[in-house]
Amino acid sequence: MEEKFEPKIAAFVCNWCTYTGADLAGTSRLKQEANARLIRVPCTGRIDPVFIIKAFENGADGVLISGCHPGDCHYNAGNFHARRRWILFKNLLDFIGIDSSRLYFSWVSASEGKKWVDIVDGVIDAVRIKGPFKQYKKMNKEIEIPVAVEEGVSVK
Amino acid sequence: MNELKQICKDALTEKKARFIIGYKEDKNKRVKPFIAKTPEDAEKLTFSHHAVNNLAVYLSRFKNNIDGKIGIVVKSCDLKAVTALIQENQIKRDDLFIIGVNCSGVVLDVAKEFNKDNTQIKCKYCQAKTPPYYDALAEESKEFEMPDDDQAELMAKIDKMTAEERLEFWNAEFEKCIKCYACRQVCPMCYCEKCIVEKSEPQWIDSSSTSRGNFSWNIIRAFHQAGRCIGCHECERACPMGIPLTLLTRKMGMVAFSEFGYRHGTSLTEPTLIGTYSTSDKEDFIK
Amino acid sequence: MKIGVFVCHCGENIGRTVNCPEVSKACASFPGVVHSEDYKYMCSDPGQNLIKQAIREKHLDAVVVGSCSPHMHEKTFRKACASAGINSYMVEIANLREHCSWIHEDIAEATKKAIDLMRFAVERVKFNHPLQTIKVPVTKRSLVIGGGISGIQAALDIANAGFEVVLVEKEPSIGGHMSQLSETFPTLDCSQCILTPRMVEVYQHPKIKLLSYSEVENVEGFIGNFKVTIRRKAKSVKEELCTGCGLCAEKCPIKKKALSEFDEGLSNRSAIYVPFPQAVPNVPVIDRSVCTYFKTGKCEMCKKVCGREAIDFTQQDTFVTEDVGSIIVATGYKLYSIEKKPEESIYKGYGEYGYGKYKNVINGLQFERIASASGPTSGEILRPSDKTEPKKIVFIQCVGSRDESKGFSYCSKICCMYTAKHAMLYKHKVHDGEAYVFYMDIRSGGKNYEEFVRRAIEEDHVNYIRGRVSKIYEEDGKLIVKGEDTLAGLPVVIEADLVVLATAMIAQQEAPKLAQTLNISYDKYGYFQEAHPKLRPVETNTGGVFLAGACHSPRDIPESVAMASAAAAKSLVLFGADMLEREPIIAKVDESTCAGCFYCQKVCAYNAIEKKEIRDRQGNLKKVVAFVNSGLCQGCGTCNATCPSKSIELIGFNDDQIFAQINAFAEV
Repeated sequence: MEEKFEPKIAAFVCNWCTYTGADLAGTSRLKQEANARLIRVPCTGRIDPVFIIKAFENGADGVLISGCHPGDCHYNAGNFHARRRWILFKNLLDFIGIDSSRLYFSWVSASEGKKWVDIVDGVIDAVRIKGPFKQYKKMNKEIEIPVAVEEGVSVK
Repeated sequence: MNELKQICKDALTEKKARFIIGYKEDKNKRVKPFIAKTPEDAEKLTFSHHAVNNLAVYLSRFKNNIDGKIGIVVKSCDLKAVTALIQENQIKRDDLFIIGVNCSGVVLDVAKEFNKDNTQIKCKYCQAKTPPYYDALAEESKEFEMPDDDQAELMAKIDKMTAEERLEFWNAEFEKCIKCYACRQVCPMCYCEKCIVEKSEPQWIDSSSTSRGNFSWNIIRAFHQAGRCIGCHECERACPMGIPLTLLTRKMGMVAFSEFGYRHGTSLTEPTLIGTYSTSDKEDFIK
Repeated sequence: MKIGVFVCHCGENIGRTVNCPEVSKACASFPGVVHSEDYKYMCSDPGQNLIKQAIREKHLDAVVVGSCSPHMHEKTFRKACASAGINSYMVEIANLREHCSWIHEDIAEATKKAIDLMRFAVERVKFNHPLQTIKVPVTKRSLVIGGGISGIQAALDIANAGFEVVLVEKEPSIGGHMSQLSETFPTLDCSQCILTPRMVEVYQHPKIKLLSYSEVENVEGFIGNFKVTIRRKAKSVKEELCTGCGLCAEKCPIKKKALSEFDEGLSNRSAIYVPFPQAVPNVPVIDRSVCTYFKTGKCEMCKKVCGREAIDFTQQDTFVTEDVGSIIVATGYKLYSIEKKPEESIYKGYGEYGYGKYKNVINGLQFERIASASGPTSGEILRPSDKTEPKKIVFIQCVGSRDESKGFSYCSKICCMYTAKHAMLYKHKVHDGEAYVFYMDIRSGGKNYEEFVRRAIEEDHVNYIRGRVSKIYEEDGKLIVKGEDTLAGLPVVIEADLVVLATAMIAQQEAPKLAQTLNISYDKYGYFQEAHPKLRPVETNTGGVFLAGACHSPRDIPESVAMASAAAAKSLVLFGADMLEREPIIAKVDESTCAGCFYCQKVCAYNAIEKKEIRDRQGNLKKVVAFVNSGLCQGCGTCNATCPSKSIELIGFNDDQIFAQINAFAEV
């Protein structure tokens, strides 16, 4: 019998709105599925499309990006620059064949704990239906995984 | 032909340019880039349907030029690269002596004669035979009947595929990539001193030529060109593996135009697409 | 690198759904981790001591704490680690409470997620670097832009605290709109009587440098260190010689040609003039647009009569630069003006009220001048057309305010109060007169405000009619006001002698330009934007730039004064320390790879990216690269994501750190 597929979702969120909104979801004890892993950045303007590619390379079945609503950016305009970047990148991914059901964008403010939960659960559900990102996983398999580094190996 | 030679000769004699980047025909009848430094050199300059190269690729190395103007021979498509480089602080307009040439199309296969079946893709949808601005203009304008824009047809076909089919199509194409980076070297807009693919701390893009590395390299290359590619198609011409790279860059150019009404390299004064925003940029895809 | 991991149970808050000992055990096997333990309350003193002890005993280089949100206790743990000798930026927090235990129910799932979150943090911390807070010196001087009541109050507060102030006013005199007012609500005390002593105090204050007839031209720098260029417009009068005797204005032959700005066009002034007798400084300026000498080269009457030889027709605009640490913007408002020629006006609305067409339709400020003892009628209520006493007067509220189709959707806030005041003043002076007020709602929130309006209605018998006026036209010297009484449901026609429009308060037309100079935001109406509507109402998004008064939104005198004092207090907070400390989370350029495309400069909302020339030893230009002004950078990282070659990176959120986190995702 096939094991039930549980998608892995990488979420890049801005510190001021969505991360805080997710905090609020926690303080309000709003239950959500446990498939998403958040990576905090100061602003959506900081999110480079290579992050998304790298997340897929590391086994993400879906990527979620979220920040402050337009006009609410803690840094005035970071989300506006980000939005323009996403329009271009999303169209590129579409053309290459990474369809929109793998990549999600949202605006979630610090007060929208409930919205955050709905978005996360929605993305998890959608990607669960979509199934594992086989095409990318196939590419990943080609790369030989380096032997686990021994303990004590110095890191920069 | 005399006209171009004469303009360049005069420019070099009168020191309007300290050298001119142009084309010359070598002994095998191949038209190649050539730098004319003296009025005598100017005699060797030429222009023809075989003058394919976008010479603007050489300009960014002169961005801190202080020794007098640099002459350059440009077709209207090449001039877009010049304009874009000026906008991106890679060269100053005042440092250039631009010799525009009327162009009626360049060849796809340099070994063959120019004709309807031997035409660069970009020429098939070229809007301007004459460069919009220049310091001197050479060559007569000639009209040629252009074949159909078959690339646009292919793009429409790809658009109609399912996501899986598209991914398959591109995987098959990127599979061929040998990571020689010729596409980057020949690109006038790829003037970074250290390309992201060469950065190792961290290494965002696998440097090995695996399908995963090829995939991310080609995606990121296309993304870095989004809103910046001026459509000279040099990348595809340089690619030894025949990957249809301009499908991607042209697509991004079309998106820039359809979403933002922007075409890079067409105006010296218009703010660039990247680096600006509008509060009314589309966001129907954001929840 | 030796990393210590500490997992907090947060009482039962984390421990109930996350198996903390198991998390701690899993972390112990992560590469680089040399110490891992869990404890009931990490943030408590004994908990912090556990961390400090481990740092000392195991010589840790970095610490990862699995606890509540970093927004809660990141500072606590950073401080604890710093006190034990490791740099506070070598600490990472994994959010095991808000983002894990509180939102999940399944212990196995939550524990697995907690281990992942810990792994992310451990991988990230390996690429953290010790950072030092940035210290920038503070210039303890302030610039106040605008010399109305807000600017005056802010300048005096700062100067009285012992710091220098440069006060810039674009008009020849300070005083602003308040100096034009007759009496003020709700106490009916004379406006000039309370204002002019303040103006004189400004003029005589040793710490205040008053630059009248001047405008801010350019602002460079950042919080604590602004360099401001100010244009001093040519007064054509040598300020240091002038005694303010007024003879020049008296003898100026073109008395009738210029309309007095101070009297809102209800009287005339000469070409050389002081706006009003109590002006500060009491130095005239020549209005070159009407002066005969500047038009024809002849006259020079003022020069002939000036015993001090203070008149200088050759004077040019000059520029001065001032170094200041803070800037207070107090540029005030103007009134929505329905121009004399409506077709030329940028405000299209209310042609039907006949302002500009009929002399006896005036706005609120004009009525203030008529009612003012220093005004063109010496305080007698006389209508402009024939200088007779109006027996019937109509006030119309919300002209331009609360009307999106014709003006602005906001409420101008002060009109209800000043209209009540106007009606009251009228009734006090014209005992047999009738006053009518057309209103939409009466908004009289404020101390003694509602009582004031009730007094107008009940004691002074002002007739309040709820409804809008549709049309005003002139007939036999009367203004026929056609409106509607919506409470009675009847049309109303009043034959009035004078109509006063309470036109909207609007932002200064030059406000957007000034906002761009200061790099602050403004709303769609042109009002300056505060940093936070609730918690930072006088600050702007640009550090060190504060707002005071009606340049922010419509407000009355007490509110403006309060806001000005708040802005002054904010400046003084800044001046309280010699050095300003800032988070070191700022962008940094790799000059060796920067290709100088300056896309980073384009995306920077703070003008923090500058151009830097790199030269060789002979002084030849090698390249031009981006340079981050650490005083201006706010650390958003948009430049980092935009840079194609990653030659600019955000310290604290650099590519290495995020890359490590994403890579750790592989083991999720």
